[in-house]
Parts: sequence; C-alpha cells; structure tokens
Amino acid sequence: MANKNFVVGCFDDEAVLFPAVKKVRMAGYKIHDVYTPYAVHGLDHALGLRETSLHTAGFIYGITGTATALGGIGWILSWDWPLNFGGKPHFALPAWIPITFELTVLFASIGMVLTFCYLCQMAPFVKKHQFHSRATDDAFVMVVEPTPKTNLEDLKAFLSANGATEIEVQEAEAGWWLGTYDKQQKLVRDKGIEVA
Amino acid sequence: MHLKYESQLREPLVNGDKNYHQVTEDICRPIEVRPTKLWYIGFFISVALLLFGVYSVYREVTYGIGQWNLNRTVGWGWDITNFVWWIGIGHAGTLISAILLLFRQGWRTGVNRAAEAMTIFAVICAGQFPLWHMGRVWMAFFVFPYPNTRGPLWINFNSPLLWDVFAISTYFTVSLLFWYTGLLPDFGTIRDRAKTKLRKKLYGIVSFGWSGSTKHWQRHESLALVLAGLSTPLVLSVHTIVSFDFATSVVPGWHTTIFPPYFVAGAIFSGFAMVQSLMVILRKVFNLQDYITLGHIEAMNKVIVLTGSIVGCAYLTELFMGWYSQNKYEQYAFFYTRANLFSPYGWSYWGMMTCNVISPQIFWFRKLRRNLYVTFFMSVVVNIGMWFERFVIIVTSLFRDYLPSSWPVYYSPTIFEMGFYLGSFGLFFTCFFLFAKYFPVIAIAEIKHVLKTSGENYKEKVGDIEKEPVEEFAHQYAH
Amino acid sequence: MASIKEQFEIPGKMRTWSIALICVGLLALIIGFATKGISTDQHQKDIFWGTLMYNSIYFLLICNGSMFFICATTLAMGGWQVVFRRVPEAISTMVPIFGLIAFVILMYIVFGMGSHTHIYHWLDKDAVTNDEILKGKSGFLNPGFFLLWTVLAIGLWSLLGWRMRKLSSEADDPALANQDAGKSFIWRNTVTASLFIVWFGLTVASTVPWLWLMSIDPHWYSTMYSWYTFASSFVAGISLVALWIIYLKNKGYLAYTTEEHLHDIGKFMFAFSIFWTYLWFSQYMLIWYANMSEETVYFKHRVEGAYKGIFFLNIIINFVCPILILMKRSAKRNYTLMTFMAVLIIFGHWIDFYQMVMGSVRPEDAGLSWLDFGIAFLFVGLMIFFVGKALAKKPLLPVYHPFVKESVIHYT
Repeated sequence: MANKNFVVGCFDDEAVLFPAVKKVRMAGYKIHDVYTPYAVHGLDHALGLRETSLHTAGFIYGITGTATALGGIGWILSWDWPLNFGGKPHFALPAWIPITFELTVLFASIGMVLTFCYLCQMAPFVKKHQFHSRATDDAFVMVVEPTPKTNLEDLKAFLSANGATEIEVQEAEAGWWLGTYDKQQKLVRDKGIEVA
Repeated sequence: MHLKYESQLREPLVNGDKNYHQVTEDICRPIEVRPTKLWYIGFFISVALLLFGVYSVYREVTYGIGQWNLNRTVGWGWDITNFVWWIGIGHAGTLISAILLLFRQGWRTGVNRAAEAMTIFAVICAGQFPLWHMGRVWMAFFVFPYPNTRGPLWINFNSPLLWDVFAISTYFTVSLLFWYTGLLPDFGTIRDRAKTKLRKKLYGIVSFGWSGSTKHWQRHESLALVLAGLSTPLVLSVHTIVSFDFATSVVPGWHTTIFPPYFVAGAIFSGFAMVQSLMVILRKVFNLQDYITLGHIEAMNKVIVLTGSIVGCAYLTELFMGWYSQNKYEQYAFFYTRANLFSPYGWSYWGMMTCNVISPQIFWFRKLRRNLYVTFFMSVVVNIGMWFERFVIIVTSLFRDYLPSSWPVYYSPTIFEMGFYLGSFGLFFTCFFLFAKYFPVIAIAEIKHVLKTSGENYKEKVGDIEKEPVEEFAHQYAH
Repeated sequence: MASIKEQFEIPGKMRTWSIALICVGLLALIIGFATKGISTDQHQKDIFWGTLMYNSIYFLLICNGSMFFICATTLAMGGWQVVFRRVPEAISTMVPIFGLIAFVILMYIVFGMGSHTHIYHWLDKDAVTNDEILKGKSGFLNPGFFLLWTVLAIGLWSLLGWRMRKLSSEADDPALANQDAGKSFIWRNTVTASLFIVWFGLTVASTVPWLWLMSIDPHWYSTMYSWYTFASSFVAGISLVALWIIYLKNKGYLAYTTEEHLHDIGKFMFAFSIFWTYLWFSQYMLIWYANMSEETVYFKHRVEGAYKGIFFLNIIINFVCPILILMKRSAKRNYTLMTFMAVLIIFGHWIDFYQMVMGSVRPEDAGLSWLDFGIAFLFVGLMIFFVGKALAKKPLLPVYHPFVKESVIHYT
C-alpha cells in the first residue's frame, strides 16, 4: 500500500476535543480517527460512526450454541443411543437445560471475541502505526486525512486554533491497519458534510 | 459530551491530585521496577507450597486414591470440599466486573482487574480437585463427548457431574476472555511506555496491536457489555450447577430446592472475602491506596454483610424445613448430625454458623467496615466459615448413610489430602504473584473513565453545580 | 423548560375509570358472595375465598415490591431513580390498604370458615390429631401464630414504609440543599431502609409465603418457595412502577424521567424475569430429578392435570416473552412496547399466583372465571384510585434530594 500523509493533532482535554471534532468536520475535513486512552462516551456519535452490530452477531452465535446443544444431546440420548438413566424419559428436557445454557454462553462469547478481533484487525504480533505514544496515556489524538487538494498549513493552523497542542504531519502506510470493514463505514449523522 | 458530575456526598473513587498521566504512572510503576524482597519471599513460599502439592498429587496418582482417607460412606471428603470452596471464591471477580457493571457501581473499577485475575486462578485451583480425584487421571478425556472406540457409548448428559464439566470449562473460558479483552488497552499503555526493546516486543504481542481508535473503543464497550450480560447468568449458573451435584440426589441434607440460589450467595460471600484479603495487602504493597480507597473496602464489606445474611437466611430456612418437613431422615440430618454440637461433626456446623452468619454482622457498623485490620481478619474468618459450610454439607450428610454398619468410621484427612489443599494455595498465590508483577493490577483505562467524574480533585471543581436550582441545571446539562 | 409540571392533578378520566373498575369489582364480589361465598357447597365457598385470597396477597406483595425497590436502591446508594422515586413511593401507600383487606380475608379463612375448608387443611382439628405430620407442624401452622405473624408482617411493612415516605418529604424542603443536612438525610434513609430490608427478608423472603401460601398444601414443602414468591412479586412490582411512569409521562409529568430511566427499568424487568425463571427451573428441575412422591405431588396435577395449560402459559408469558421482546435495547426504550410488556408481566405473575393458590385449593379443575377477573378489577380500581390520590399529595420531583442532579443527567 502506498504511503500517505496524515495530519496529527493532540488534545489534552475531552472538553476541548469535542468542539474541535465538530468544527473539523464542519469545515469539511475528513477525520481518519481519534485515538483515546479510554472509551470516551459519545465520541463515536460525534465522529458520525455507525453503531456497532457486534451484539447482533453475539445473538446469532448464542442461538447457534443453543441449537448445537439441544440438537446434539437430543440426537445422542433420544436417537443414537437411548439409555435409561434413573427411569427418566429418553427426552429428558429439564436435564439438558444446564448444558444448553452453558453452550449458548460459550458460543456467544468466543464468537464475539473472535469477531471483535477480526473487525478491529487485532491479533498477537499485529503491529499498527502509532501516531502518538501518548494516545494510550493521556492524549486524545485526532488524525485528519488530507486529500491532495488540502492545504496542510491551513489544516495545521485550523487544528491549532481549535485547541490542539501538538501538531505534526506524519507519513504512514495507508490501508492495512484500516481493516476492510472500517473503509465501508457509513456516516449516519451529519450526512451533509463533504470531504474537502 | 456528557457532563462529568456526581454528588459531592459521594466519596471520591480516586483520591489525591491525579490526572490521566499520573494514573498511568501510578499503576504501571510496580510493573516497571524490580520486585521487592517481600515479593520474592512471598513468591518462593508459594512455589514451595505448590511443590508440596505436586508431591502430594504425585503420591495419589502413583499409589492410588488410597493415599487419601476417603472411605465407604465418605466418598467425597476434602477434595470436593476444596473444589466447591475454590469455585465459590472464583465467583467474585465475574460478579464484580459483570453484575456491578450492569448495576453501575462505580467503585468496581478499582478492584475488578485483580478480582477477575483471582477468579481465574481460583477456577484453575478448583479444577484440580475433581481432576485428580478421578484417580486414573490419564483417562480424564473420557468426560468429553465424542464418538469413541469403547463401543458406541456416549457420556451421560443427564448427570449433574457432566453439567459441571461444561459449566466450569465454560466459566473459565468466558472469564478468561472477559478479563483478557479488558486487559488489551492496558497492555497497549504499557507497550507504549516501555523503555526496553524486549518489553516493547512482549507487551506488543499481548496487546494484539491495540491502538485506541474510537471505532475499536466503541466495539470494545459493546463487547464488554454483552460479555457482562452473558457472564451474569453464567456466574449464577456455575454455582447453581455445583449445587445440583448435591441437590439432585436424594441424600438427606442435600436434596433441598433452595440450594442453587443459596450456593450462589455463598459463593459471592466467600469470593468477596478473598478479594478483601488480597486488596488489603495489594493496596499497601503497591502503594495503591488512592485507587483502592477505604470507600472500596467499605463497599465490599457491605456486600459481605448482605450476602452473609442471605446465606444465614438460607441456613435457617433449611433448618426450619428440616423440622417442618416432619421427615425423619431430614430431621436426623439437620438436628442430630448438624445442629447438634455434640455429634461427631457438630463442631463444623457451629463453626460455619459462627463464621458465616454471626460474625459478619459486625459490618453493620461503619467504623468496623472501614477498619483495615478488622476487614482483613474478617475476610479470613469468612473463608474459614465457607470452607466449613462445604465440609458440613458433604461430610455430615455422607458419614451417616442408610447402612448403620458403616457408621463408626470417622473421616479425617491424611497428610496428602491436606498437602493437596496446601498445594492449591501454592498454585493460587504463585499465579497471583506473577500477575501482580507483570500485569496492571488495576484497570487503567477504566480508572481514567471515572477519573473526571469521581476523582477527588475534579469533584472539587464542579462543586458549585450543586447550588444551581434543578431546573436551570437540567436546562443546561440534560439531554 | 421554563415551567415544569411536577404537581400531579388527578385527571377526571382516571377517577371515572378507577371508580368504574371498583364498581365492576364490587358487583363481582357481591354476586360471587351471594352465589358462592355463602353457598352451602364447601367447594364453591373455597373458590370464592381462595380467589379473594390470592388476589389480595398478590396485589399486596407487588405494591410492597415498590417499597423494596426504594429501600434496595437507597442502600445501594443509587442515584438514577430519584427523578421518579415518588412513583414507587405512591404505589407503596397501598401496603396498609391492601394489607388490611388481605388481613380481613385471611382472618376470615382461618377463623370464620370452619375447619372443613380446603384452603387451609391444617385447620381441621380431627385431621391434625390423626395425622402425625400435621401434628408435628402444628407449632407453626396454628391460628394463633398465623394471626400474630400476619399482624406483625403487615404492620411493620406499613410502618417502615410510612417512615421512608415521611423521610422522603424532607426532599421538598430547601433546607436539604445544605451538604450536612444532605448527609444526615442519606444516613437516616439508609437506617430505615436497612430495617425494612431485614424485615422484608424475615417475612417475604422466608416466613410469610410459607405461612400464607405454602401451607395450602400442608404436607408439601420446598425451601425455595419463598424466594420464588419474592421474585414473582418483585418483577410484577417493577412492571407496575413502569406502567405508572409511562402513564404520568403521557400526561406530561415527570419531565426529567427520560427513556434512559425507562431503559433501566426495562433492564430490571428483563433481568428479574430471568431470575424468576431461574428459581422456577431450579425448584421444578430438582423435584423432577429426585422424583420423590411427597414432593412431586405438588407438580403432578399442575403439569399433567387440569392446570396443564396454565402451567405452560405461565412460562411462556413470564419467561419466553420477556427474554425475546425485552432483549433489544430499542425495546426497553420504546414506551408502547414497555407498556405492553409491563401489562403482560403483571398479568403473567397474577396467573402464577392463581396457579399457586387455586392449583392447590381445587386441583381437579382449572379455569379463570368472571370472578377471578372481577376481583382483580376491584383491586386494580382501588389501586388506581388511591395511588392517584397519593401522587397528588406531593410534588413528583424531590427537588432537594442530594442525588437528584445525578438522576437528571443519567444516561445508559
């Protein structure tokens, strides 16, 4: 993938970050991402990100687990090799509930964690470009993706005017860390904003 | 952005003049400096205990289950007592992280990481007991359902013991996933602060390349919420299923319908006691008093008195029903062998009552809830009491079975049974010492999340909001 | 948001509806009394008084669930519920009223119906002298203790609930804005709330369901029974709170109670529905698994006999519907769906109480009749009438409660 320029602005305070995000977007710049040390509530909305549907995936994995357990035990104990356990009927549903429940939870959890890792393109030995080392400590790092037409100096001045403390232009490989899924992000809010 | 505010009447969750960077520093420091002498001493004691445990298990595997004093009626003794005891302790972590997350108890952020770690280690310890109790442990894979070569036989899915296999392995897996996904951002933090190449490399691997992207945080939050939602019934189900091991049978003293919720309450009770023991020491050794405050200790003591009383309610319910049922066998189990101080195991029942029901009532008093010495002492007492509870349930119901000719045998453990138990302590503390050295013992990102709402210095700043009339306040900040 | 409406005025329509429901209920009561209540057929008499009994106990316990909710959130130092706290408070004023009604009904059954009733078999002195088991239990199952414990239970719930409500009135006084006053307010709330919870544990979570309900099958016993009854009444109680909140929102009150608060109540309804199912399953499965006749006798006619339909309906309404419908976040924030679910859950647990009581009073035939619904209308009408009155007595927002601002900005 080709290398690309990014304009990186650091913010020290969420209270400054939020208005800045709004202004940068209103001005028509495309925010590539904001890197934060903790989950800042409402930032995803401010950036116009779509709600995640991870939990829907979890539900599907869960009912797969339910079906696997009920289907498997039912087949084994009522069909494949019916045995008399303590005079219970072959179709002893109450006795199957515990395992069914456990497998539901197990499937949902493992499935969701794997999906999470896949969507975020995270795995052991994966290394991503780091725009600022304080992003995992105390800085809120806004990364703006300029287009060929963008005047970088203007953009830097604009970020500075909106409260960014450290501003720099970085060259980074574009593409691989985005993950295929992120590219297709639809903006749900503020549809009017155009990319400069 | 939402207003970061909470009532001034609430105690701060983070004391002192902190900012985000200071939080990172405080929590990462123990990982980045050489361990203290105390750490080495503790670690080697734990390893020594573990080795004794390994030797005890070696004896048991080589010479057979006869190395233990289990006999014809008491087929489950210390081993299953310890199993249930450890698995109960392993409930607090998930409870703190999952149920308290759903109940939005802010104080969980200070203790959840260490509690979850403790949970995982406790479950590992618990798993040892049924495993080695199998005797021919190399046949342990028989419990897995697969079409096998021993004839077309499947395992018995109707057996509570098999439910246990599923419950505990699921619980272990899900707790591990929950804990680990929570650790990812903090590993990222340590990686980005690392001074040496090796550290950067190692923490880079375990952080899975965490970057702190907003989208990732959004998914991370969603994942944490759903995992919490799944773990809540899961944590209930695990001890419920352990209780089914007893309650589905028709043994007097075991077959009672209140067992599932009462086991769960007991598990939370003992788990919180163990968390308390560890936290009182941890905060001192690692200088984390600002993050694990007296408020945290007090909140946990409240949980202890609550769950202790629920357990007490269940004990009395059982005792009452033992009488009310007018069933001779139940009455014998409850009034001859248990509640009778002069029966062979009467001491264990009264030990349990004293430690679990009577003594925690001192936590009705605020002063005692906030006293570290009392807290530590009580946390040990509660865990002794909870051990007695499992011993009472298992041994007193078994040692007088339906065949009076087997009665005279009094069960007491051999040195190797005790060695196995001590070894599990060794395993637990070895793991915990390693955790404390290499892992962030407090969830850094979560502390940052609550810092500006509940940090002492930030709370002072928004104090004036308190004086505004509600209508004006709502007009300004409500959404 | 210049002027907010936080002083409830009873709308005419509500008054009309409540009085209409009460009239319908009274009519059912009178006809029921004439045709069944004074009938010479013991069976008809049992049906009449059994119906009165399960309705009064059910509505008493769900209204008491409101006070349990207040006390539990107080002890947990909860802040989010403060903006609508006056609603469960108003519902809890029903405890003395329904308590008195339930008391009269229970006392009539114990002292007035004679010893041949099928409701409390342990009243039959001949049966007790000839039955070793009943004789053994008579230390607990006797009219004197029944009277004493019923008086104590209802009396202390009412008294402690009254204290909680009285304390809550202080939150209308500007003096509470002071920090020290706030601290002492929280402290006094905590003390009363913990007393209530302890008494609640000693009654609802243990003795009272044994005495009032489980003793209808005097030979049968289950240690889970009381916790099960508690779960059943609490989830219905929370649904009742939700219904009132939605009603008040519709009338333009409770400006600060938003869908964020509703969402959390929805979570309670969802979670406690599952909790109820968990207790239901644990009790049923253990008895099914052990298969001892002295225990399975309780489920025999419920699963296989006349109550089969109601037995499974109970699980569908109280487990399958809540878990499927309330699982989604958007459902818990939707006023229409929440109204529907709250009504369904209240109805579902009413059915649960019906089968708990009537399934033992007359195991041979089942079926909800005009009498069941009529009596339920009477209680619902009374509840609407008196809760409306209680709501109008105080402002709906405890303006000076120390946690009220946290509650205003609460988000999920």
